[in-house]
Amino acid sequence: MKAVCRFSCVAALVFLILVPAVASAKDFFVKQPPASLDKLYPPLSKEPKWIQQMHKMSGSFGGVFVNMKEGDWENAEKLAGQFVEAYKETSKMVPEWEEYFDLDAARKFAETVKTRDGTEIGKAAGPVGKTCGKCHGDNEVSVWAKYHWPSFHEVKVIDPHDDKEVEFDEYMKSISGAFKGVTVNFKEGQNDRAGKAARVFKAKYTELKSTCSKCHTNGDVKRFYVGESVSAALSGLVDELRKEKPDPGKVWQNVGIIGREGCKHCHLVHRSASFIKERWEEK
Amino acid sequence: MLGLALIYLLINKKYEWIPKPLVERARQPDLLENPAAKRCGECHETIFKAWQQSRHARAWVSETYIKDSENRSKEKCLPCHIPREVRAGRKPEPRLKLREEGIYCVPCHVARGKINGPYALYSPPHPTDKSDGHRKSVFCVPCHEKTYKEWRATGHDDTCQKCHMPRAAGRLVQNPILKYFHAPKDVADRRFPHGEIGPREIALRVDFTPGRVRVVLLNDRVPHFIPTADNGDPRLYLTVLQFDGAGERLDKTREILAPQQETALPYKKEVAFQYPLEKGARRLSVLVEYKPAWSQEKTEVLRESYDINF
Ligand code: HEC
Ligand code: HEC
Ligand code: HEC
Ligand code: HEC
Ligand code: HEC
Ligand code: HEC
Ligand code: HEC
Ligand code: HEC
Repeated sequence: MKAVCRFSCVAALVFLILVPAVASAKDFFVKQPPASLDKLYPPLSKEPKWIQQMHKMSGSFGGVFVNMKEGDWENAEKLAGQFVEAYKETSKMVPEWEEYFDLDAARKFAETVKTRDGTEIGKAAGPVGKTCGKCHGDNEVSVWAKYHWPSFHEVKVIDPHDDKEVEFDEYMKSISGAFKGVTVNFKEGQNDRAGKAARVFKAKYTELKSTCSKCHTNGDVKRFYVGESVSAALSGLVDELRKEKPDPGKVWQNVGIIGREGCKHCHLVHRSASFIKERWEEK
Repeated sequence: MLGLALIYLLINKKYEWIPKPLVERARQPDLLENPAAKRCGECHETIFKAWQQSRHARAWVSETYIKDSENRSKEKCLPCHIPREVRAGRKPEPRLKLREEGIYCVPCHVARGKINGPYALYSPPHPTDKSDGHRKSVFCVPCHEKTYKEWRATGHDDTCQKCHMPRAAGRLVQNPILKYFHAPKDVADRRFPHGEIGPREIALRVDFTPGRVRVVLLNDRVPHFIPTADNGDPRLYLTVLQFDGAGERLDKTREILAPQQETALPYKKEVAFQYPLEKGARRLSVLVEYKPAWSQEKTEVLRESYDINF
């Protein structure tokens, strides 16, 4: 159960954060992160240096308050000093972002910690915290899209029909065509053609299972979009259309499951970031 | 002569008698500072040359890996392809140095300031420790997790090493002087034999019934799925062709047997595919091909032809 929550929670989070951003494209623009950030992320850097720096700052900043609550003023002051150093260091790492930092506010915060007055310290922390929040609001999503969401454009799929490697979006077009081949022919009463299209479609859809491991290292994700219920619906569709007189109720039910739990849900989780990257690549 | 025999005896049987200062003098401390595989190869030449042919040596430089990891930018991929230290039951940490060596001698052997291996022995250049793990399948688990689970479920006795690191009598070192002072021992094949699926691994049977044909495949010998994979995408392709009396092709069907698609062949469990026979079909041919994880090339595993007499 825990694993299920982890998946759906992350999926929900991705949905909440990214989808509105794209849906209201009119007034929301995700700009590319500054070029000099590149050297702080793989492949140019061996480690994600920017994130490490964030942890350094948040560890010392948060640590001040933990120690304060425990009445350990000696360590609170020590960490406040470390925080100012880390903050200063961070402000120099990405020249394009220097403006986000308020070094005076950080220094004032460290000075205030020395007064050992909780209320004053809280007040002095406010302006510093705001600089964190402002930058996160402006840049986190674009940093995620650039450095944490691998590009679907780099993912190639082997078409089971002819063993040719094709671009992911090309493959999507062909899978979408095959899906329509099933529904359109069935609507027109051309059950033979619908049946043939269903077999091609099933083979193409199953091939998607080989793409997950290009980004995911935990096979459990395959319980979604390509898992048991979608697989059963694919087989159900093929089997129903093999019959002399296919039951339309069953055919449409399976089509619905594939469309919703397969295509739609996978798009909701994966396409938003892909949209953002695509815009960047256009320019 | 007698002196040499004494040294031989000391090194191989009574190494705990050798005085400490003498032991220290023979040490080459850089060996414990994570040198490249070539340095180990100065003495362990046979093992080094074999390792160079293994997939482990290619784990970071492989073209297909570079492509799938988007020019090595995907962080999730690092632990198994460039491990710092391999410890049974634990996912490795990625390392920062000598990445192009992939999975090499140091991560598999250096731990706790010593070189760990399957033997209790005395090696003058570097301290060693006998490790119980190296000859067990759990050693491979940190990276071959799914294959290990498949293997466990079969209850088979042979370890991964038995088949993928077969042992043969030889010497651990080829260094011209050292080699005569160390008794011959079993040496495991460090090529980690791979990509050699053939007709021995897959049994084929074809049953005809009026109007139908059943093609049955069986993995009778390999105690994990064929193919098996963690993050790779190896495949078998089964192609069944039907021809009429004049040799014209009437039908072609193809199945993909791939671990990523959960269609690989399990151990000792028949997998059957049924097809209707086309009208006028007189010959049937069955072809099985293999595509390893690290290549797009297919190689033929087996090919059979059958007359249809109905
Ligand atoms: C100039 C911009 C900027 C400023 C200022 C900034 N951050 Fe960040 N921070 C980022 C970005 C961008 C990310 C996303 C990094 C990523 O996910 O790769 C981030 C991520 C984080 C994370 C999450 C790290 C993770 O593991 O995902 C923490 C914690 C954090 N910042 C703390 C802070 C604190 C505390 C401050 C203020 C003292 C601060 N940041 C100021 C840009 C900034
Ligand atoms: C191009 C890269 C890429 C491919 C291909 C891909 N995913 Fe994802 N997926 C991601 C990223 C990035 C996330 C965000 C969380 C993460 O990093 O795991 C994600 C999130 C998910 C989640 C939400 C839960 C989580 O945290 O992992 C599920 C479920 C999922 N993917 C399933 C799949 C399945 C099933 C496939 C194959 C049919 C697939 N993905 C193919 C990149 C990919
Ligand atoms: C692995 C999860 C996944 C599944 C399952 C999936 N898609 Fe997609 N699809 C994507 C992603 C990601 C993109 C965006 C690709 C890009 O940006 O290059 C996409 C793009 C598309 C596109 C737009 C292609 C273009 O470039 O014009 C269509 C159409 C499409 N999908 C149809 C479908 C249909 C129909 C199904 C179900 C039968 C389906 N997809 C199942 C992930 C998925
Ligand atoms: C540190 C992780 C790690 C450990 C430990 C490890 N392997 Fe591997 N192994 C890999 C990776 C990664 C590859 C794929 C390398 C490549 O081709 O890019 C691989 C490839 C292989 C292959 C070739 C597979 C193929 O596709 O042809 C075999 C066989 C193999 N390993 C056997 C073993 C055995 C047996 C053990 C235990 C004695 C073991 N490995 C221990 C990570 C590991
Ligand atoms: C849990 C360990 C592990 C992780 C993490 C891992 N791999 Fe691998 N990888 C392996 C093993 C083991 C093999 C050998 C073949 C097999 O068993 O799948 C392999 C083989 C491969 C191969 C085929 C061999 C080659 O060199 O062409 C590719 C490509 C590959 N991995 C890409 C990736 C990518 C991309 C990622 C990150 C998304 C990744 N791997 C993460 C263990 C891992
Ligand atoms: C100067 C020569 C030399 C170099 C260089 C060298 N070794 Fe050795 N190694 C030996 C000798 C000698 C033995 C003992 C051989 C014997 O008893 O048959 C040995 C034994 C071993 C063993 C067996 C240990 C056991 O307990 O089973 C391992 C593993 C090993 N070496 C790994 C390495 C690694 C890894 C490196 C590189 C970091 C390395 N060696 C470099 C000479 C060398
Ligand atoms: C994937 C992990 C792995 C890598 C890489 C690796 N070894 Fe080993 N090594 C083992 C295992 C496992 C054994 C035990 C094999 C057995 O006896 O069944 C072993 C055994 C040995 C032995 C003892 C003799 C023997 O064959 O049993 C020596 C010496 C040795 N390795 C040296 C090296 C050297 C030198 C390299 C680099 C060129 C290297 N190994 C690379 C895993 C590894
Ligand atoms: C009884 C012998 C045997 C045992 C035990 C065995 N294997 Fe295999 N394995 C094979 C054969 C045979 C092949 C197919 C030929 C080849 O690739 O060399 C194979 C193939 C592989 C492959 C190549 C992937 C592919 O394309 O199929 C990997 C990786 C692998 N085995 C890992 C392991 C691991 C890890 C273990 C232990 C958990 C193990 N094997 C135990 C015989 C064995």
